[in-house]
This record gives sequence, structure tokens and C-alpha cells, in this order.
Amino acid sequence: MSRMIRRNSVRWCVFALFVAFGLCALPAMAQGNYEIQVYGADTIAPKSTMVELHSNFTPVGQKKFFDGVYPTNHQEHETLEITQGINDWSEIGFYVFTSLQDGHGWQWVGDHIRPRVRVPDSWHWPVGVSLSTEVGYQRAVYSQDTWTWEIRPIIDKSAGRWYFAVNPALERTWHGPDVVQGIGFSPAAKVGYDFTKVVSGGLEYYADYGRITAVSALHDQQQQLFVVTDLNVSPKWEINIGVGVGATASTDHWMVKGILGRHFSWVKQSQVD
Amino acid sequence: MVTRRRFLELGGISTVSSALAFGAGELAAPDYSLEIAPCEVEIGPKRKIRTVAYNGQVPGPLLRFREGQPVTIEVTNRTENAEVVHWHGLFLRSEVDGAMEEGTPMIAPGARTRMTFVPKPAGFRWYHTHTAANGDFRKAQFSGQHGFLLIEPRENAGAYDQEIFLALHDWDGQMLASDDGSMNASYRYSTVNGKMVGFGEPLRVKDGQRVLFHILNASPTEVHWLAFAGHVFRVVALDGNAVPSPAVVSMLRLAPAERVSAIVEMTNPGVWILGEVRKHVQAAGMAIHVEYANRSGNASWEQPQSLIWNYEQFAAKDDGKRDESGVVEIPLVFESKFRGHGAADHWMINGKSYPDTETIALTRGQRYRLRFKNRSLDDHPVHLHRHSFEVRNASVGGAQKGLMKDVILVDAKTEAAVEFTADNPGMTLFHCHQQDHMDNGFMMLFRYV
Repeated sequence: MSRMIRRNSVRWCVFALFVAFGLCALPAMAQGNYEIQVYGADTIAPKSTMVELHSNFTPVGQKKFFDGVYPTNHQEHETLEITQGINDWSEIGFYVFTSLQDGHGWQWVGDHIRPRVRVPDSWHWPVGVSLSTEVGYQRAVYSQDTWTWEIRPIIDKSAGRWYFAVNPALERTWHGPDVVQGIGFSPAAKVGYDFTKVVSGGLEYYADYGRITAVSALHDQQQQLFVVTDLNVSPKWEINIGVGVGATASTDHWMVKGILGRHFSWVKQSQVD
Repeated sequence: MVTRRRFLELGGISTVSSALAFGAGELAAPDYSLEIAPCEVEIGPKRKIRTVAYNGQVPGPLLRFREGQPVTIEVTNRTENAEVVHWHGLFLRSEVDGAMEEGTPMIAPGARTRMTFVPKPAGFRWYHTHTAANGDFRKAQFSGQHGFLLIEPRENAGAYDQEIFLALHDWDGQMLASDDGSMNASYRYSTVNGKMVGFGEPLRVKDGQRVLFHILNASPTEVHWLAFAGHVFRVVALDGNAVPSPAVVSMLRLAPAERVSAIVEMTNPGVWILGEVRKHVQAAGMAIHVEYANRSGNASWEQPQSLIWNYEQFAAKDDGKRDESGVVEIPLVFESKFRGHGAADHWMINGKSYPDTETIALTRGQRYRLRFKNRSLDDHPVHLHRHSFEVRNASVGGAQKGLMKDVILVDAKTEAAVEFTADNPGMTLFHCHQQDHMDNGFMMLFRYV
């Protein structure tokens, strides 16, 4: 009997999105919101691939250039994420970030690579645990920090109709003005509830508190809260839609996000496999 | 309605009383003794499982009864939980059948009980715990509490040179999300007679022998497929009952609690694998080596490419001439109720879960047809206690007759029908034999008026 992770795919999809957000949101007023997702602990099965399109639009955001970075207002971000399962406890993801904006056209923003490992099911841990690390480049006109690195512990738990996930991510700029900032703390969390087998709803929280050794003033922190829904229409598909509001002056005030994912298996599973 | 938990408590009290009576030393020695106790079983190299088993072994000791000859069994519970032993496939009184839902007293922790009954019908039966696991994968049928039971007919039938008993089991389970959005049990290890493939002694046979295999699927939840490389099975009985049309097959399918008795002609000397057809299950350990005398070397396996099985091939053709006017039909619809992606589904029969399911009244001597409609996405091995039924329509195959069983697998989104005669008064349990389904409401009772 197959055990493949429909719920998980939704979860990690809902999660994976957040990496880029955290990355690009590092400094106050930085640009981001390319992948808005709270990660789940599960990984993609071996010999299979998940292809996701993250579409994020900022109806109300930063309207002025800031240190040479394009304003976020009315930016449309399209991010292609391709994740390949390696074995039953690891995967590797690759991102292509793009941006559409009046006056700038459709621009390539950057690329990231993200390996991830998790605690195997056979360990019988009461919660799902995985660890991802993400390295990548983004153009200076979209983020002053062009090379960044992130390490993201991921803990999640399904309990009946409820789903909980926490991603206490740590970030480091390798090239850019925030190199001197040291390690930043950008946690994310999700609470979900299964209304039906198909429809789940919940809240996702994303934040950037600044340096881990010196938390920024609230005004300079980034905090966003999304109301989301996950539609579990098929094991092959994942759909996540959300509307978010920025809670601080340094956060884009409104955002709309969507994730459409398709799972591909590269082995034809026979009856006897 | 008495809940399962409440019944455990009540049953426990009853059993303690029995234990005190036996303490007086007034009774003669029993024919068999079973001790239910924690133990450690080594299923493979450096793979030990802490479990609960009968007499410290998995499977438990083979019990051989003579049909119609009273037998006394003493059961001691050395665990911390109330226990009960179900005599699967026997026509017993409800008080000793081994299901607290029917009224069998539970055996309290530390208590001892003794039961005497007249075993029938003849055939390959088995015994196992009939408690609730409630999500604990070390309890109930997830443990090692299962054993073979053979009721010898008064006149022995069957020409064979050797008899071999095999029990399939899955270990170290957990609930994982599945493709259909529900939680399902998944296992790390699978064994034959408590051992993973290559660990333990092979089955030893001789060229030219006719070996009668009695195979039991004692898995708590999983259907298993078996093939014997280089050999075929001649199936002579299902669930211990002789089939109307013995047939030669290349593989066997056993749903949880099902049994197959099959003759194998040992005409292909060598060292072979008898094991699960599906690669990932065999890789988890479910296979055993079969070694011909004076043969050695690596065991050979021939991988089948498809799964083939149906009940119909062993049944007699239904010519439609049987008078069915007196048969009372009881429709039973199986459905699941979603309780979240992080929880097992709740199961319902005719819209209700046990203990809220309807207790249907039976009239002694009446013939009944249970018409199963499985609307769920899971296959269900359903079991009727204290009776055998005749398979009239299986999920795959048309009308049939003469095939007597006590478990039938009703495939997802299919229908099946069985008939039985109400000839054993007393409370009678009907349930899915998947442990997690039982625990989540897939049970109901019949009562006699």
C-alpha cells in the first residue's frame, strides 16, 4: 500500500514558499516575497519531482526606490521551484526568481539551491523534523544583498484536523551591505485546520526580527500574517492561496500569494513494486 | 451501550474471580496452557522487537484439537493490560469465543482463566488477541499474539507427506499519510513465522514430497501476496474449509485473518524462496527459504509481474437454480468519515460507528444474505464470528456457491454478498479485521431473538 504523502506535499509546499521571502526580507525595507511558504518536514519521494509556480502580487507595498532597489508596489513575482527527491529522507530544490513590474518588464531576479534532509519515518519521532539550507544570488536591483545563505529547521505536526509548523530560520548575507549584520532571525509558522478532506484553511506568519544578537525595533521588523487555504484535490497537485497583511511599517501592506504544484513520478510503479 | 473501555474493566473483574477459583487447586491439568506475556523476539540480525506473545514465541504454539472432543485451555495474562483470546473460525458460545463485545470476560492483568469447549468445525483455524490498540502499535494485533489452531477431523483426510504452518506478520508500524488523504498503517519489517528472510532455519523438504502448507495472514492490517519460486500451489481449502473446486495457482492472496491451505508437489530440487510477491514487502523481510535435501547455495526467486487472485476459481458455479426465496437480505454499507489529515478515518456500517451501530436480530434457523457495499477507498477484510458463510458474490467474479469462509476481502468501491444460516445462538460480532478499522468503529453485533 503506497504511503506517499499527499498531506505532506501540501505542507512542504506551503513551507517551501517561505524561504525566498525570508532571504530577501533580511534587511528592513528590503525586497522579497518571491516564495512565501512555511515549510513542512516531509521531503519529496525519491525518483520523483515537484514543480511549483509561486505567484505573488503586492497590491500595496513600498512605492519608492530604496537604496537603488526597485519599489515593491504592484510587483508581480513568479518563482519556479523544482524539487527532486533523492531518497526517503532528502531532496534538493532549485529556484528561479522573476519579477514583473510596469516600466521594468519581466526580469530575472536570481536563483537559489536548497538541499534538505529530514528525520526518517522509521525513527518514529512524534513530530516531523527536517533541516534545509539555501544558498543563492539575487540581482542588486531587487535586493541589496546579492548572495545570501539560510539554514531552516523545520518542525511540524498533524493532529486530527489541526496542522502546526514552525520554521525558526537563520539567515546570513554573504555579499551586500548586511554582511556586517551577522546572522538574522526570520521565523515562520503555520496553523492549519482541515475543514474537509479537500479544503484546509489556516494562518501563516512570516517575520524578520533583524539580527539575532540585536533584535530590530518593531518599526524596522518585518511581520506578515496570511490567511491561506490549501486545496487537496489530488495527490498529484498542490494548491495554496493566501492573502497577507503587513503588520509593521517595514512590511508590504498587502500581498496576495498562490502556489500551484504538480508532482511527477519518474518510475512507473507496477503492482509488484 | 457498553463501551470497549468499560467492557474491559467489567471483564477484568470477572476474570479475577476465575483466577481466585483456580488458585484453590481443584482442577485437573488443562490440555493446553497459554501464557500471555511481554517478550523480545529476534526477527532478524540485530533486529529485536519488544512485543507480547503466547508462551514467549511468535507465532504461538500450534494447538491441535480433535473435532468434537472437549478441550480445556488455561490462559494466564502476565501483561499490564486486560486480554482476551479469540478462537477464530470456531463455532463457540459467545462467552468463550473471545470477544468482549459478545460477552466473553476479559482476563485481567495477572489473572488466569480456564475455558472448556467442544472444538468445531474441523480445519485450519487460529487464535489471536481481540483487544483494541487505539493507536499503540505495540498492542492488540500489532503485537505477536497469534498462533495456529488445527482442528483435526474425526477421520483424517488428505494425502500429504509433510505439513508446514506459516504465519505472515508486519512489525514496527506507524500511521502515515497516504495518497487518498487518509492515514494508513505502514510497517518497517515483515516476517514469516516471526523471522525475516534468510534469518532462521529454512523449510526443509525432499524431492517428490507432497507438502501441505497452512498459511495464515496474521498481519494487523495488510493484504499479502505469496509465491513459491519454481513451484505452484494447489489450493485445497480457504479459511480452513475445503473448497468445491481445488485449483492450481501461481500465487496466493491473503487478506488479514485469511488462511489458505495448499498442496505443493516438491518436484523441482534446489533452494527456493517462498515470499511476498511485492518487492518492497519482500525487501522488508517477508519470505522464507525452502531447501531440498542435499541441496545448497543461494535461494532463487522468480519475480512475478502481476498480482492474480480471485475467489471465484475455487467456488462452484452457481447455476441459479437454488431456491433463494427464504433468504433474508441484510444490506451493510461501509463508509468512512474523515477526521483530519492527522487522524485515522472513522468507520461506519450503515451510517453508524460501533458502539452506536445497529444490533441486528437473527432468527435461529433462518438463512441470511449479507450484502456488502463498500463505498470507501479502502479494501476491507470483514469477519463474522462464530459462523462460517458461503461466498455468493465476491468483489471480483460473478455468482458462485459452495465456498465457505469466515473472512472475505471486499475491495474498495465494490460489492460482495455472503450467506449464512443462523445456527449458533448468541451475540455475534461482525467487523473489519484491520486493527485500526476495528478500533475506529468498524464493528457491529448480531443477536438472536
